[in-house]
Amino acid sequence: MSTRSPARLIIALAVAGVLAVFLVYTAVAGGSTPTLTPSQVAAKTSGKLAVVGIVVGPLAGDSHGTSGLRFQLKDPTGSKPGLVRVVYHGTAPPPLFRVGRSVVVSGTYAGSHLQGTNILTKCPSKYTTATTKA
Amino acid sequence: MAELGRAALVLSLGLSVYALVAGAVAAHRNLRRLSTSARNALFCSFASTLVAAAVLASALVRHDFSFAYVAEHTDRNLSTPYALSAFWGGQEGSLLLWLLVLTGFGSLAVFLNRRLLRDLTAWVVPVLGGIGTFFAFMLVAVSSPFGTQTAPLDGAGLVASLQNPYMVAHPPMLYLGYVGLSIPFAFAAGALLSGNTDERWIVATRRWTLVAWTFLGFGQLLGAHWAYVEVGWGGYYAWDPVENAALMPWLAATAFLHSVMIQERKGMLKVWNMVLVALAFELSILGTFLTRSGVVNSIHSFAKSPIGGWFLAFLVISSLFSVALILWRLPLLKAKTKLESALSREATFLYNNLLLVALCLTILWGVLFPIVTQLVKGEQRTIGRPYYDFFLRAFGLPLLFLMGIGPLIAWRKTSLRALARTLFWPIVVTIACGVALVFVGAGSSTPGIIAYSFSAFVLATIVLEFVRGTRATGSLFVLIGRNRRRYGGYIVHAAIVLLAIGIAGSSAYGANVEQRLTRGQSVTVDGYTLTNRGIIQRTTIRAKETRVLLDVRGPWKGQIQTGSNQFFNPPEPAQEVAIKTNWLRAEDLYVIADEVHPATGIVYVQILVKPLVNLIWIAGIVFLLGSGVALWPDAREQRRLVTRLAPARA
Repeated sequence: MSTRSPARLIIALAVAGVLAVFLVYTAVAGGSTPTLTPSQVAAKTSGKLAVVGIVVGPLAGDSHGTSGLRFQLKDPTGSKPGLVRVVYHGTAPPPLFRVGRSVVVSGTYAGSHLQGTNILTKCPSKYTTATTKA
Repeated sequence: MAELGRAALVLSLGLSVYALVAGAVAAHRNLRRLSTSARNALFCSFASTLVAAAVLASALVRHDFSFAYVAEHTDRNLSTPYALSAFWGGQEGSLLLWLLVLTGFGSLAVFLNRRLLRDLTAWVVPVLGGIGTFFAFMLVAVSSPFGTQTAPLDGAGLVASLQNPYMVAHPPMLYLGYVGLSIPFAFAAGALLSGNTDERWIVATRRWTLVAWTFLGFGQLLGAHWAYVEVGWGGYYAWDPVENAALMPWLAATAFLHSVMIQERKGMLKVWNMVLVALAFELSILGTFLTRSGVVNSIHSFAKSPIGGWFLAFLVISSLFSVALILWRLPLLKAKTKLESALSREATFLYNNLLLVALCLTILWGVLFPIVTQLVKGEQRTIGRPYYDFFLRAFGLPLLFLMGIGPLIAWRKTSLRALARTLFWPIVVTIACGVALVFVGAGSSTPGIIAYSFSAFVLATIVLEFVRGTRATGSLFVLIGRNRRRYGGYIVHAAIVLLAIGIAGSSAYGANVEQRLTRGQSVTVDGYTLTNRGIIQRTTIRAKETRVLLDVRGPWKGQIQTGSNQFFNPPEPAQEVAIKTNWLRAEDLYVIADEVHPATGIVYVQILVKPLVNLIWIAGIVFLLGSGVALWPDAREQRRLVTRLAPARA
């Protein structure tokens, strides 16, 4: 690939351009999901989304029951108002799931509550600030 | 002791600043004594950082909770290896490790090349000094590991799932990889600053790049295996931003390792190589920024911290510096030769590079997409696994195919007829493999069958190369010994093939069933019949353990236990999955206890059968073997290099 060959450069740029458009198209039109905090969900009426929040109790029911596992989510920062009610059906949540834990719940928002189909709890990776015992 | 650590870090900062400023002045004005002084400052900054690291390590081993860092990441019950692993278990410690490796690697690289590449290392020292200044400043002014407090009775402890041998090795390996990429970057910048843009900087840093790349690659595989056996969700890679942050620089470095061969041999791709080495370095900084700033959501619970903004500033400055340098020196980066044919080894390497970079940028786009949509649409949108899987197939499968063609195609140019003659037997093997796989029932997944067939093609070409070479030399060991880089590379290719087969097998085939089981009830999945034999609970010194006993019949017979632990300190639950490897069928039976009701004996279990997944871990060992062969010192190669570099020095 010589710098004296502008034709090749043009072809390369064209391929890159087509690829970029393709990527943008795929990303925008192909299955991206809004990822919101509970305070942002209030502005939504319905649709598929993922909510990032902290689990608020009490936890009621279970994920395999007909009425599902029920709980609420609040903003991760805790400073903004707004709670989202979640009704979750499916595989039992991971063991780390519990009140006060930061989670991502994916599903369909039905106006009054989020019909959850998947729960991700934050992996216990490092760099979390722990509190020490006195 | 904490004061000693703080003082050592302040000294490291001062020495790094001196290496930056004095080194730049010395290189610019060609002041030899000042240049030597700056170089010595770089060496001394390593020594002072080593002192700081020793202070922290000592505090961790002694459970000295007057160090806030020690109290936040360990407790008295933690064994010494895990207490030491807390060195990189927190943000401040990991930054210190970063500086330690940077100054250590940098000092060694400069020391080894101080005579052969005197003109170049004069500029490498201030570049390394500049990077060191940033990290030392962060440790001194923003995120110090030497904060003190009144010592509590005990520390907060280390999360149970991190008390795992993989977690002792995985993070430092990634750091060695990230930081190792600073060395080729510094030498590339040194070459541009000095105006000596010949191939010497590439030759000097080839092993450093290979070492960094090996650590980064193997470190990721260790992390994947940890996720598979410890986190217990049945997978090993989730396309999470934190995971992608390590994959992107590895892909850029892979492209670089291939394209430098073209520059060495043909004097081409000089600009491209500069761009790649800068890209790999900047991506390693970007990864740190993304994981620490909290700008994108990740399943990894990296807390938001004030260092994100600093890393963003460093990323912007170093990127601008790189771009400006390359643009400034463009006239010196003209290719010596032209690409003569689209059917040549150098063209194949170029295609391989384009695909690797395309895959890397695709992943980068996916990682940055939430930020872009936040800016454009006012709400974050995330891209899921289908996006990444699609592009992994779109770019990964052609890459696999090229891996087979590359070694067999001639340099400069070849004809289609000659290429067809060379590839005849590998293509026969590929077609035979594809047909055989369809007959044994693997045709259910098109990407799977393509991946398997291409893998057979690559393996056939590798075997062909080894057979031809062994015939010519008379011995396999002589063959490898005489050209360690080339045949080490082939072994790494074989590892990538194993990885591809493992990924294709475990994701495109297999089974995944969730089932409610009462006591005595059975379920059959892929030939395995599992029967619920009851629930047991026991309390140990560390945790309350709950286990479901399951009898297994079928290709493997016996009993397995799956469940969870509720640890006492820190009070965290952890999944304890049952994994039974069947080597005869080359598959794993993987059972997760989703929900356990000890009072009624009812359990919900998720049963996965994962074919060929263990090839992924075997690939890691083969990968290390290949890298080791390629890295092994070769006296004859060294003599060749010295001869080659001699005219440039004169």
